[in-house]
Amino acid sequence: NSSTLTTPQGQVDSLMQEVADEAGLDLNLDLPSAQSSAVGQSTASASASGEQDELSQRLAKLRQM
Amino acid sequence: MTSKARSPGPADPLLVTQKHHHRKAFEYISKALKIDEEDGRKDVAVELYRKGIAELEKGVAVQIRGQVGEPWDKARRLQDKMMTNLVMAQDRLEVLEKMLAMNHHSS
Repeated sequence: NSSTLTTPQGQVDSLMQEVADEAGLDLNLDLPSAQSSAVGQSTASASASGEQDELSQRLAKLRQM
Repeated sequence: MTSKARSPGPADPLLVTQKHHHRKAFEYISKALKIDEEDGRKDVAVELYRKGIAELEKGVAVQIRGQVGEPWDKARRLQDKMMTNLVMAQDRLEVLEKMLAMNHHSS
């Protein structure tokens, strides 16, 4: 599409900003940092296995009653 | 922990999904066990076991075979444990359902 190729970048940017403004979006919005969630994940994975073990023990105990 | 290899592990969508179902299953079955152990309302415990079992089923269904690396090894161990608890929780659910059915007949 030749019209896309010849449209100046500045015009594209201002159009995108215009659309974003209408939709109430912030184009410069940062994505949530991956670091905090990665830390949360690794702590969770360390205990996940232990939590399943705990369930096994409690289920086994009920079976003996 | 050996973290010399690549570290995309914990953030992988499959691992996140597995972890999510583990967490939900743990919440439901912990509550069910507490009621069950304290001899509370068995019908409430049954409902919670059912919900927990559904989460365990989704958790063990997450496809993690054939992937290499420590996070995946860990995920497979978690999958094994969820499988064990799935069977045990189903057994317990069956016992409680029979118990409830008997009470229902006698009253």
